[in-house]
Amino acid sequence: MKQKILIIGGLTLLSPLLYSFCGFYVSKADGTLKNKTSQVILVRDGNRNVITMYNDFKGDTKDFAMVVPVPVVLQKENIKVVDPSIFQKLNDYSAPRLVEYWDENPCNRHMYDEVATVADKSLNRMMAPGKAESREKESSVRVEAKYLVGEYDILILSAKESTGLKTWLTENGYKIPPNAEEVLDPYIRSNLKFFVVKVNEKEKQKLNNNFLRPIQIAFSSPKFMLPIRLGMANADGDQDLIVYAFTRKGRIECTNYRNVDIASNKNIPLFVQKNFGAFYANLFTQQWKNEGKNISLLEYAWNVTPVNQLKCDPCVGNPPAEQDLVQSGVWWLYGKDWNDYSDIDNDEPDNGDRSVYFTRLHVRYNRKSFPQDLMFQVTPNTENFQARYIITHPASGDFNCAAGKKYLQDLKERRKKELQELTRLTGTDLSNWQEDAMAKNDETKIETVQYETLIPVYKETFPDRDTGPVGILFLSGLVLGAAGFLRWKGII
Amino acid sequence: MLPARLLKDARYFQIIFQSIFLTYGIFVLHWKSETWLYATYFATSLIVQFACEWIGGNKNIPLLERYRKGIPSVLISSFGLSLLLKTHEPVAAILAATVSILSKYILRINGKHIFNPSALGIVAAVLLTGNAWISPGQWGSDAVLVFTVLSLGFIVTTKVQKIDVSLTFLGSFGGLLFIRQIIYLGWPVDHFIQSVSTGSLLLFAFFMITDPKTTPNHRVARILWSIGIGCAAFYLATFRFINGAPIYVLVAAQPLIPLLDKLFKARNFEWTPSTKMTIQEERFLQTIYSKSVM
Repeated sequence: MKQKILIIGGLTLLSPLLYSFCGFYVSKADGTLKNKTSQVILVRDGNRNVITMYNDFKGDTKDFAMVVPVPVVLQKENIKVVDPSIFQKLNDYSAPRLVEYWDENPCNRHMYDEVATVADKSLNRMMAPGKAESREKESSVRVEAKYLVGEYDILILSAKESTGLKTWLTENGYKIPPNAEEVLDPYIRSNLKFFVVKVNEKEKQKLNNNFLRPIQIAFSSPKFMLPIRLGMANADGDQDLIVYAFTRKGRIECTNYRNVDIASNKNIPLFVQKNFGAFYANLFTQQWKNEGKNISLLEYAWNVTPVNQLKCDPCVGNPPAEQDLVQSGVWWLYGKDWNDYSDIDNDEPDNGDRSVYFTRLHVRYNRKSFPQDLMFQVTPNTENFQARYIITHPASGDFNCAAGKKYLQDLKERRKKELQELTRLTGTDLSNWQEDAMAKNDETKIETVQYETLIPVYKETFPDRDTGPVGILFLSGLVLGAAGFLRWKGII
Repeated sequence: MLPARLLKDARYFQIIFQSIFLTYGIFVLHWKSETWLYATYFATSLIVQFACEWIGGNKNIPLLERYRKGIPSVLISSFGLSLLLKTHEPVAAILAATVSILSKYILRINGKHIFNPSALGIVAAVLLTGNAWISPGQWGSDAVLVFTVLSLGFIVTTKVQKIDVSLTFLGSFGGLLFIRQIIYLGWPVDHFIQSVSTGSLLLFAFFMITDPKTTPNHRVARILWSIGIGCAAFYLATFRFINGAPIYVLVAAQPLIPLLDKLFKARNFEWTPSTKMTIQEERFLQTIYSKSVM
């Protein structure tokens, strides 16, 4: 069956964006402290890193405080605030997408088009109540630096032992989660510094806005990692982290957890369009569970070099423009080394390569499955990847010709496969989707091929399928078979 | 029986286990199966091996006979590349396979080749082309059980007796990691377990560093040598943040083997232990025989 495509435009559902970086919130007042989801932009080339952390903090800004372990004492020039819209742009551009195709009536050819939609990925919200005040005090903790950047008061602390740091933070009005010590000690002994942030109310009022801008830090370190362990101290359950990474060479990947591509290019039933966000959330959870949870999932990878023509196919949001890249911290675009950051140990000359490669990773972590911080590496892998799901509209009209009858048969078969794919991808029973199927008027008037008719037929035949154990069984079979063969031959 | 005799050669076990690993990677871990890449590794290796035998092999043995005997080793190094080296560039893949096979013929001292073919191929492709990479995370750490079982099975069944290399390497590398992560830094135990239970490390410890052709002949030398590799790999991985450090260290440490072999005398390893007697033994028997006849 011929399918033709025409992209009308990107329909972008406003995605509620995410909260807090991998550090933990500290606050004075009691209350449930949680930070469930984080977004972070990583820019890496050679040993240089620019990290942008986004806090869509909804409470009283007086209550906001954040601690992030960093490898070096940062200079003031290496700390910036940036516009939060950059996160929205990157999210829109790289979010999982739904594409539509229109069948042609084999008896009667006519028009077609395509729309692309992004998943409305409702990510968990959090609030961090409480407030924080700081006052200097002598202790085993050293205040390495103290800056006012944008609306933030920033302290860089170094400590000799976690008790001292804990005491210092408590005495200075920060409330520390009870089990933070487990990770504070290793960080202190790894010689990490602590980047402590809170809002300066005076500066905040000048800005006359009601959000907190993302903080961007730049430093040189051979370590390419994100400290997620600290963030687990005050979060129960699973937390989501979206990493947008820019490199000169190619994709980034995790080196201490398994990298898995999210299931993509799947044909799914038409009615999923109504609830694409829920579909993707289910799909993500299902794959995450099936793969054993301790994985990093790839959602998008593409060359976004300004001169590169095709930055997405189909595009659901505008590809990052030059100024977006600069804003994200890509310093090599204009041939200036290290942009306007202070050029700490700039030993590597600019090699003139203006390439920019973008990767989007989605990690859902918890204490049990992620005992280590996330370590990354830049690879020369420049293969494009996108999370893309396909719905196909049926042809309309009458199907009295021979080809038309064949079409209806194929359509039924295709829809059966779509339903099967839906249960497999989302791990949900078909009956969960019946409502969606009923709510959306089926575009085909032929009752025998309508989803409504097909769902009750296949409901029983497509049970939840878990591929994990099948693989293990398969492998065990192979090993046992080989061992049995050798035993039989009297070799072992 | 023919198959039984074939399986006495440890290489066949290695081939069976490596193919299971690859199957596991593709079907259970859902690696993107890069058929063309695997095909390139195998085809290039087989062709280069043939060319080498044709040009430089022992002319007393017929060409095909020589070639046939070398095939298991070629398969092993091709599997080694398939399991560890990723690339999208055919040129990088061809380079890796060519370097790995060529090195066996060109870089030789005292009748032994110096480098582990797949390790050298991997290092060459990563450093020379810049288009190939090692994915230390591709195995995850859930596979640990499977790996341990398979690896132990491999060791027990093959009787290659180079288990000392695996254990001393893992002991020194893991021991240092333990001291650093748990005793010195104070991380919880699961942090350490995550570090040592990665498939890549176990695969290296049981299937790459153990290659009897490229380890010192004498046991003491082997142990010292693998402890050295463990320590150096620990240093590079922990303080220099180099991914795949063990492989680089292995390649760097292999030129030391001829020296170690000189210091610690022992017999060269043979894949198929010859049933022939040494010249001394033959002479000895001959003397006895001739004397008893007289």
